[in-house]
Amino acid sequence: MSGHNESILREPLITGKDITYAQITDDILLPVENKPNKAWWIGFILSLCGATLWVVAVSYTFWFGIGSWGLNKTVGWAWDITGFVWWVGIGHAGTLISAVLLLFRQNWRNSINRSAEAMTIFAVICAATYVVSHMGRPWLAYWVLPLPNQFGSLWVNFNSPLVWDMFAISTYFSVSLLFWYTGLLPDIATIRDRAVGMRKKVYTILSFGWTGSVKTWQRFEAVSLILAGISTPLVLSVHTIVSMDFATSVIPGWHTTIFPPYFVAGAIFSGFAMVLTLLLVARKVLGLENYITMFHIESMNKIIILTGSIVGVAYLTEFFIAWYSGSEYEQYAFINRSTGPYWWAYWMMMTCNVISPQLLWFKKIRTSIAATWILSIVVNIGMWFERFVIIVTSLHRDFLPSSWAMFYPTWVDVSVFVGSIGLFFTLFLLFLRVLPSIAIAEVKLLLKSASEQAKLELIKEGHLDKEQVQEYIESLEKFDSVKQEEYAKI
Amino acid sequence: MESNKKYWKGLEELKNTPDFVENNKNEFAEPLPIEDVLSEAGLSTVTPRRDFLKALGFGLGAVTLAACQKTPVHKSIPYLVRPEEVVPGIPNYYVSTFKGNSVLVKTVVGRPIKIEANPNAGQFNNGTDAQAQASVLDLYDVSKLKTPLLKKQETTWSELDAFVKGELNKAQASGKKIRIVSSSLNSPSAKAVIADFTAKYPTTKNVQYDAVSYTGIIKANENSFGKAVLPKYNFDKADLIVSFAADFLGTWISGEEFTAQYTANRNYKSLEKGKMSRHFQFETGMSLTGTNADTRVPIKLSEEGPALITLYNAITGGNLAGGALPNNATADKALKLVAKELLQNKGKAVVVAGSNDVSTQILVNAINVAIGSYGTTIDLDNPCKRYEGNDAEFAELINEMNRGEVAAVFFLNSNPAYDAVNPKAFTDALAKVPFKVSFADRVDETSDLCEVVAITPNYLEAWGDANSYEGYYSIVQPTINPVFNSRQAEQSLLIWSDAAVQDYYQYVRNNWEKSILPAAGKTWNELLQTGVVTTAPKTAGAYGFSLALDAVVASIMASSKALDNNDIQLHIYENIPMRDGKSANNAFLQELPDPVSKVTWDNFIAVAPKQAEKLGYKEFDLVSVKGANGYEVILPLLIQPGQAMGTASIALGYGRTKVGKAGDNVGKNAFPFVSFANGTLKYATTAKLSAAGGREELAQTQTHYSFEGRNIIRETTLKDYLKDPASGSGNHHKHKVYDLWTTDKYEKLGNDWVMAIDLNACTGCGSCIVACNVENNIPVVGKDEVRRRREMHWLRIDRYYSFNDEKTGEDVTEEKEIAHMSNLDNVSVVHQPMLCQHCDHAPCETVCPVLATVHSSDGLNHMAYNRCVGTRYCANNCPYKVRRFNWFNYWNDSRFDNYLNNEFTQLVLNPDVTTRSRGVMEKCSMCIQRIQAGKLTAKMEKRALKDGDIKMACQQACSAGAIIFGDKNDPNSEVSKALRSERIYYVLEEINVQPGVGYMTKVRNIDSETKKAHA
Repeated sequence: MSGHNESILREPLITGKDITYAQITDDILLPVENKPNKAWWIGFILSLCGATLWVVAVSYTFWFGIGSWGLNKTVGWAWDITGFVWWVGIGHAGTLISAVLLLFRQNWRNSINRSAEAMTIFAVICAATYVVSHMGRPWLAYWVLPLPNQFGSLWVNFNSPLVWDMFAISTYFSVSLLFWYTGLLPDIATIRDRAVGMRKKVYTILSFGWTGSVKTWQRFEAVSLILAGISTPLVLSVHTIVSMDFATSVIPGWHTTIFPPYFVAGAIFSGFAMVLTLLLVARKVLGLENYITMFHIESMNKIIILTGSIVGVAYLTEFFIAWYSGSEYEQYAFINRSTGPYWWAYWMMMTCNVISPQLLWFKKIRTSIAATWILSIVVNIGMWFERFVIIVTSLHRDFLPSSWAMFYPTWVDVSVFVGSIGLFFTLFLLFLRVLPSIAIAEVKLLLKSASEQAKLELIKEGHLDKEQVQEYIESLEKFDSVKQEEYAKI
Repeated sequence: MESNKKYWKGLEELKNTPDFVENNKNEFAEPLPIEDVLSEAGLSTVTPRRDFLKALGFGLGAVTLAACQKTPVHKSIPYLVRPEEVVPGIPNYYVSTFKGNSVLVKTVVGRPIKIEANPNAGQFNNGTDAQAQASVLDLYDVSKLKTPLLKKQETTWSELDAFVKGELNKAQASGKKIRIVSSSLNSPSAKAVIADFTAKYPTTKNVQYDAVSYTGIIKANENSFGKAVLPKYNFDKADLIVSFAADFLGTWISGEEFTAQYTANRNYKSLEKGKMSRHFQFETGMSLTGTNADTRVPIKLSEEGPALITLYNAITGGNLAGGALPNNATADKALKLVAKELLQNKGKAVVVAGSNDVSTQILVNAINVAIGSYGTTIDLDNPCKRYEGNDAEFAELINEMNRGEVAAVFFLNSNPAYDAVNPKAFTDALAKVPFKVSFADRVDETSDLCEVVAITPNYLEAWGDANSYEGYYSIVQPTINPVFNSRQAEQSLLIWSDAAVQDYYQYVRNNWEKSILPAAGKTWNELLQTGVVTTAPKTAGAYGFSLALDAVVASIMASSKALDNNDIQLHIYENIPMRDGKSANNAFLQELPDPVSKVTWDNFIAVAPKQAEKLGYKEFDLVSVKGANGYEVILPLLIQPGQAMGTASIALGYGRTKVGKAGDNVGKNAFPFVSFANGTLKYATTAKLSAAGGREELAQTQTHYSFEGRNIIRETTLKDYLKDPASGSGNHHKHKVYDLWTTDKYEKLGNDWVMAIDLNACTGCGSCIVACNVENNIPVVGKDEVRRRREMHWLRIDRYYSFNDEKTGEDVTEEKEIAHMSNLDNVSVVHQPMLCQHCDHAPCETVCPVLATVHSSDGLNHMAYNRCVGTRYCANNCPYKVRRFNWFNYWNDSRFDNYLNNEFTQLVLNPDVTTRSRGVMEKCSMCIQRIQAGKLTAKMEKRALKDGDIKMACQQACSAGAIIFGDKNDPNSEVSKALRSERIYYVLEEINVQPGVGYMTKVRNIDSETKKAHA
């Protein structure tokens, strides 16, 4: 891995001087091995309040019934399924980064895959809570599983997209968890080796007896590759199936064949936005600027602009098809989306998902941490509205105008959603405390070839093309973690 | 070969020491530590690892044994002595009478649970209205008194009787008057009882008054023809119907009867013969009848008189003064056209007016004489006896009370403290009466002012009779023993007058056996089985009219001028759910949407869209309405297309204060707006409107009123229909349907249950909705939940407005276009009953993850409540939005206290239909319990099912016969025939869900001339 030198034209994936393997371990394990700082406590307490709100709101719903939400006879899903799809979508970046980018040998994923995967797991947990809590009789939620039962030969309905959903989400969750945990094993072993006392015992169990032998590494690589292979179709299948909840129905605005690719693109779009939202903060607070660099941020922004544009094309295609189909119901559904009582939600979606990400064409914005962070939140908001628009504006005015109705959320609706964000951040902040937020072992792989110091050494050796070196040095200007003076001397 | 060699395990064995011999007897070398284990010390020790399997085995065994315990069995205790004819699970039917209409009461193990029309009633079997359907809930009303009250204290009947008799004797001794105040009494036996009572106490007089009065017609007939009666109207004999604000399909005299007559001339059978009546409606507020009219012209209240004069002049060529409508060219034009057509249809037309003004009705009589209605469409010789109230007598009663001439007053089925013209004047006068008795079943507004509340049973617990038409008698028989310690008013009167026969059952029987049964040649038992006795009707004669109309016209014009000032003209009307407010505590009725406004649980002030714009009000703004007499209420404003400009309407029957949990303080009382003038009650006044500040959203079940030009509603005109019966049905351009499953391969065997709905017959009255609610235990959810659009009705009636563009003459149905129209007066309405369509390719079925909704082999879409986990996906995917979700435990949640939250009211539940818990989806089951019962009956009788064996609850209630249910696989069934009609179309058939409910196009009897008249 370090046997050859990487092209000088490639931007470094690790910045900083005098980075050693030990230094990497120390840097990354800093939050795991030390008492949390004030920033963490503030974040954790806020998140915990949110999680408590979630417990209260979900318990209230369970106690009194779904009627405590703002749904009605016309709009049977609103914030619940909006939240569900939103969370599932957010989860997608994790799988894409861990699986697809691994298969494509995109080394830059090594710094961000861990957190992204953790985010996937927590997002899917949040989504799964919606699956159960939106049911009228959640205590019977297990009925959607094809379990042998005493109700005669009663089986689930394999025609129902909700059953596919159940398979898709549970497969997704288990594969993601497995992949994440497998990747964690060498890192847990690292923590184990440095820990004492009770911590050592716990991490010993968690490390599954990792020895670090060549054989172990070889198996680790093989398993990672196999799991990546299994996960890759999931990137496409999960949100495809989620989109089929809508696409296989007859409701105008839902009954759309474009949904699967459009949903997948949207999922990756929102997933990367969420990764950025989380990592931009974590990078600063945990002092990981050397490992999550401007190159990573810019790369993710590029994916956002790509997927955002795909989503934008999908929005326009929907409109075109609605007109082209000649179906009055379809046409009305789309006119109503953009000009009806929920026009503001539609234009919120359009602005946040299609228009504002276009700012990322500008390198200045793409490489500005503040702008990126704000845009990532804007994208998250936009993607929430996308699902809201699809679900509520399609349902609230469908075929028979006599049933047309408006949806107004109650405090419980809002609390379940806000609470789920609290739950997500609680889990994420706990994760930061107990497990390395960057894959230590994988980052170490990059040190000898793709780090700034390795490249600097190459430059100093002086066998490189001057022009290329110049280009490389110019590319470093955007890096906030690179000391420019060093290069001024060269 | 066996070895003889011996091996020893040890020296002990070789030596065979005593120790060894002793030990060898035991199975184990060492003693088992049983004692140790069983000792306390042993038990308290931690189970060692080696005992894990033991513990596991023991645990598993113990649990298995424990699980062998049978689950507790709840035994239902059978009757010790089974009452005759009561078999649990098998309903009994008894005939009775509700408000003068003979009905069939279904009882299950002694509980009356459903009302149907009596099929034996012949021409008087006209379905049931919403009131009749809902009345069964009144029996189980917890707001009723359980014992009689004496001076607000609970008492016994003997104490009460002693007190009343004492008071009556005092009144008798004083020589002052005794008054029995009742609403119209059409019971011969009750009348006889009052006659007996009067014989004992000669100063007694029965004052009959109706909250909504028909005195005007009765007086007018007395004036014109010397007959003080309500005539019998025959709308079925009318080819042309012209109504001036008479809501004859809804609240006017006898809605369900007139509906049956009216639709007989307009339904699919009539249309197949090429015949359809024509109906013009001139009215102020949009009534149910107005929504069904072929041509409806809004007129102000003040224009009603001039309009009739105009019509009279046009028909007779007369020249009465005031026959002009200077400000309403549309109405003027329409009246000219109507006059022409009335003359063409002499003897086949009828003109009716809803006014309670004597002069107006005299003029209507004159018009009807001129067009030869008497003897054909109007029958004065077999008069209607439903209403006999006399407004003047009641007004006089207040004067008598004020003068201190009345010593005792009895209230029978009347509540003047709520519904009198001027409740304050009434209660003040009443305070001067020393002794007051109320025969109510609860402490209502009037009973609260009475010394004695002699509680009466519900009609389902009572004996009685009715005579709603000349020669038409029906019996009221109890279907359950009185639940509370109540006593019929008639029996109380008999006891207090020391009558010879004090048992009212015997009294009724004697009365019938003496005066009614012999003429009909029937016995008492036959009567109890059939319920009705009819005598041959008299020949309806023609009547002439010879009076001078000058004085009449002067009176009409004076009333008209009085209304025509700068204020808003206020129209006070009865609406279909609440009527006069007597059943205000009936939650089924409160939640029944008003057929026109779709508002539940409230009344409101209705104004035209342009009027609201002019006054600067938005919908649901709270508006203060101050009547000409100073009475003021604050009501939310409703924008009502079709309301005449310069007018507003308020419904009666709301604002009860002492009726019970459900009905108290729902809406505002409009009775005080009514005035008394020229001897009758006037339901028209003027009012000043002012913004009261604030807004109150009305609980509507439908908030979007146009059908956006979608082909879910398909209409045609009679002219086009006659040319091409399939016109407007869209049946000329059918697409080829592609199907994954070839239908011929899977032929449907057995039954295929389907429905046909005739949009031309449906008037939208909503009695089917209540029938469905009662039959299927559908929860009432209350105002807040309806506001959140969560009403549970399995069957709803969609009401759409379309507007006629005055320039192009085209119908405008899209909201965005309607918004730009300058004239919204010319509105046409269509009612569309919407229920589960039982699609053969049901979108709900494919999406349910747990197979809780599946298709049956006989064409039904089933719903297995117990399997439902409540994802609501099916409801989302239902194109008709007919699925209803139990958002809460409506029948057992204290927050929904207006319906079933007590064990007593739960007795109204139909035991054949399970109640649904929270979190479960439900929807129309096509009364599957009725299908099942019908099949079982046929099986027991060893015969095949016949068409008509099974009737849906909605179908049975429908007066118009708009709903036809049956087996599509039987080519001769009525529904098969109906579905072969060229008018049949399926709502949303283009999405190929293959619905099982066919709709017949709405046919309007309009032509270019009526359209022109409008423009």
